[in-house]
Amino acid sequence: MIAAPGTTAWYVYGVVDASASLPPGRLRLVEEGPLAAVAGAVPLSEFGEEALAERLNDRRWLEVHVREHEEVLQRLAAGSTVVPFRFGAIYRQLDDVAAMLQERRADFTAALARVRGRIEVGVKGWADREQVSASLGDAPPQAASGRAYLERRLTERQRVEQVAALLADIAGDAHARLLRHADEGVANRTQPPELTGRAESMILNGAYLVGGDGAELAAEVAALEAEHRGRGVSFETTGPWPPHNFVEPGEGS
Amino acid sequence: MTVAEPTPLQEQITLLELVDRVLHKGVVLTGDIMLSVADVDLVYVGLRVLLTSVATLDRLQAEGAA
Repeated sequence: MIAAPGTTAWYVYGVVDASASLPPGRLRLVEEGPLAAVAGAVPLSEFGEEALAERLNDRRWLEVHVREHEEVLQRLAAGSTVVPFRFGAIYRQLDDVAAMLQERRADFTAALARVRGRIEVGVKGWADREQVSASLGDAPPQAASGRAYLERRLTERQRVEQVAALLADIAGDAHARLLRHADEGVANRTQPPELTGRAESMILNGAYLVGGDGAELAAEVAALEAEHRGRGVSFETTGPWPPHNFVEPGEGS
Repeated sequence: MTVAEPTPLQEQITLLELVDRVLHKGVVLTGDIMLSVADVDLVYVGLRVLLTSVATLDRLQAEGAA
């Protein structure tokens, strides 16, 4: 992509070893010592500071570019170890990209070592609260009198608390068990139903960094699924992902 | 990874998955031009409204077509 100076900027997707090779296309490697940034030219009319703030609220635009960011990282991850950057690392000059690499060399070298030979797998836990509640035994009896009504309301409230406590236990236990089959893991904030669009509640939003193909982790997910399916709790995996969750210090465990 | 033609709902879930990783995770830099964390939080709020309204729109269109 050739454009007049001052109309394009460099969008950086992530960092790889300088020895990595890129698939043919519009991306380029900006090498600095043992590291290289993967960058692509973007128009300032869309990625300039003010333009970007506006575009971020355009769902279509956001979707296209968030997908593109992920696709580039997935392609890179297929052949190299990659340290993903958060969306929106934009530099005016390639020299600025090289300077950033030099400044953060120690961090990126450590991050590459941390994720080398590993993949990120997502595991989500879902609960059908009604089914979970039913699995706890008989529902409270129908109210016949005022006093019975109050007792029933109390029992119902206790039941909701029981379900919440049980689900917290299941999610905590699942995360602990999955961690045993991973080098690192993190239980992220669960996504609310208005975003997931699902009737079940999300009870676990985990990400795990695993070596090899993650077969052990997959087997543990299958075991969890078999154990809890009857009471309305299910588990699913996503990925493999580039290691988004395991490249900032302090994330993961 | 995906084989079947995704439904609008599945597309939203996938986008949400992507947003959770691409906008909320990864190395954070202070660059020449750089998204601030506050902007990302705003995106998340904005996206929530958009996804909800898109879901409603999709449902209304489906009902209209039925």
